[in-house]
Amino acid sequence: MGGVLVTATASALFDETAARARAEGRLILTEEESKAILQEQGIQVTMPTLASSADEAASAAENIGYPVVMKVSSREITHKSDVGGVKLGIADADAARAAYDEIVASAKAAEPSAAIDGVTVQSQAPSGGVEVIVGMTRDHQFGPVIMFGLGGIAVEVLQDVAFRIAPLTKRDAGAIVREIKGYPLLTGHRATQAVDLEALEGVIGAVSSFVSETSGVAEMDLNPVLAYADGTIAVDARIVLTAD
Amino acid sequence: MDATRKANLDRAFNPQVIAVVGDKKITDYMWLKSVRDAKAKVVSVQIDENEIPGILEMGFENYPSLADVPGQVDYVIVAVPRPVAPRIVKDAIDVGAGAAALFTSGFAETGEEQGVQLQDALTQMTHEANFNLVGPNCMCLYHSKTGIRNSADQWIGEGGDIGFMSNSGTHATSFVMRARTNGLFPLKSISMGNSISVDQGDWLEYLGDDPEVKSIGMYVEGTRDGRKFFEALRDVAARKPVVIWKGGQTREGARAAASHTGHLASDMALWDAMMRQTGAIRVDTQDELMDAFKALHFMKPFTGNRMGIVAQTGGQSVLVSDAFGREGLTVPDLTQESYDILEPIVTVVGGSYKNPLDVSGSLTSIERGREMLDTLAADTNTDIIVIEASIGFISRRLERQGKTMDDLIDMFKEFQESTGKPFGVIATWNQDEAALAEFRIKIADRGIAVFPSFQDAARAIRRLREYYVTKAEMAAG
Repeated sequence: MGGVLVTATASALFDETAARARAEGRLILTEEESKAILQEQGIQVTMPTLASSADEAASAAENIGYPVVMKVSSREITHKSDVGGVKLGIADADAARAAYDEIVASAKAAEPSAAIDGVTVQSQAPSGGVEVIVGMTRDHQFGPVIMFGLGGIAVEVLQDVAFRIAPLTKRDAGAIVREIKGYPLLTGHRATQAVDLEALEGVIGAVSSFVSETSGVAEMDLNPVLAYADGTIAVDARIVLTAD
Repeated sequence: MDATRKANLDRAFNPQVIAVVGDKKITDYMWLKSVRDAKAKVVSVQIDENEIPGILEMGFENYPSLADVPGQVDYVIVAVPRPVAPRIVKDAIDVGAGAAALFTSGFAETGEEQGVQLQDALTQMTHEANFNLVGPNCMCLYHSKTGIRNSADQWIGEGGDIGFMSNSGTHATSFVMRARTNGLFPLKSISMGNSISVDQGDWLEYLGDDPEVKSIGMYVEGTRDGRKFFEALRDVAARKPVVIWKGGQTREGARAAASHTGHLASDMALWDAMMRQTGAIRVDTQDELMDAFKALHFMKPFTGNRMGIVAQTGGQSVLVSDAFGREGLTVPDLTQESYDILEPIVTVVGGSYKNPLDVSGSLTSIERGREMLDTLAADTNTDIIVIEASIGFISRRLERQGKTMDDLIDMFKEFQESTGKPFGVIATWNQDEAALAEFRIKIADRGIAVFPSFQDAARAIRRLREYYVTKAEMAAG
């Protein structure tokens, strides 16, 4: 993508995070780690704050501003919603305290052996965005490839996605967005507004640049990225390291 | 591929001396026969006493080894039993051949241990010597200009301008034959086989750099180095059209993935992505491959999507419009000016002077047909002109006027040369299969794109339109 190069800080943060994760025997970076790297790469994210008690969760929520989303933080739990580890729409400090206890209890019940670091608190992205996925995988023949599609549950059910081999040109980033069947959802449909396609293509370009110019990323999902009329926010993200 | 290897490949494609090693009576000396008309001296290398008399009878000199062949050997065809193959390839390296093509099979494609080991040995030997080995397990090389062939049944001669490369020997061979019956002129066809020394990316680059190759086609099942192939394709497709027929479309790569992206990145999804991003033309069958080349070579370039159609079938306007509509092409209303011309001449009951014209019995003469085509082509609402020739129906009609199919084809040719818009003919069946076959061959020979059905025409036109649009987008940056 013309002009968007991997930022020195994103690359340094990735190397440092990857080294630490590998030392701990992990190949999957946490949401917090993944988002911190993507943020350095210029991608808007909802940055999680880790709380290790109900009071810390309430105070983090106060700082961030309501509503917030809270998610279990554990290096051993990768599908957080499957263990009751995600709560949305938390509107005040009491609710944040209660959510902390409920999330920890339900995650422990579902996965008793998993070590739980606490609960993350992050701003809840505004409603009205279109959920999309921006992803990357390293193919055995082609090397890094980029995926774009409708996100959230749609990616699992409809598989309405398109691929390009990285690095993408500006034309590729425009074309991958327009290739999916759900493209009309992005251009405004009845009551909904058209999303900021340039910002969306910017996210795709930033991911392409990052994976083309760093080594050690095996897979990546930014899912969902919420696309709005005036920008995008990645509300969940996962970076997977190569096994070597 | 470095300059030495490229020059050596050029030498193999334009040989002065060809050596065929191990050809046999049981296969009717297929390899000696494949090159006997080449513009080169052809010699045989054979040590089997039972085979030599037959070879000498055909008029070839025979030598006991490649080293005994006088002068420089440029191209070696190897058809020896598998265990002997590495020794013959070693000889070809030692005599400084430009390339050796190994017809012999039974290597890694078998999956068995001895085959894999022999292939590994060949790989190592050719890599160390920086030697061009075609195959193994292949139908060798074809070059119409110098007369080397995949098979003695293939056309040779001047004027070829298409390069083809194939993972399958059958398709390397049959592409040449079918291309000729479709009015196309193949230049080079490469049966890549297991491609252990010259791989897919190398071949693509080689054809891309050949100034006589105007367009490239390929049948490909996979590639050992996808990244190299992608980069070669991006480079070559920016300079000349590349048509890709990818086999193995339903094969799923075994992927253990921790992301949605990893799960969804199937082999075909990535090939499709690569074709879209490089501007390559995707086809899914050999028929579509032929249609794409006809549209590419015979129809003028276009980026518009508005069809002007003359149909003869009677009452099928809706189906004809559907066929084009499914491929993103439109069949628009014509201008009033066109209607004023067409209304008085499309007089048959149940016919239509509106697009698609449904003329059936109104096509009373060749001149009338020309008038309809000229009107559609002059109309500012159309980008692409096609006419249906319903064979059987039309031939009887021509006969009554004392005309022949050749007169009709002459008219099509004159129209094609006079109009600035791309033109195609849809030759549909109507009661006379033999006449249809004859018509298709004749019209293809005149360099007119002829398609077997409205659906096939629509698909080929859509693919070519995508190609020209992508090309324009890329040129615009």
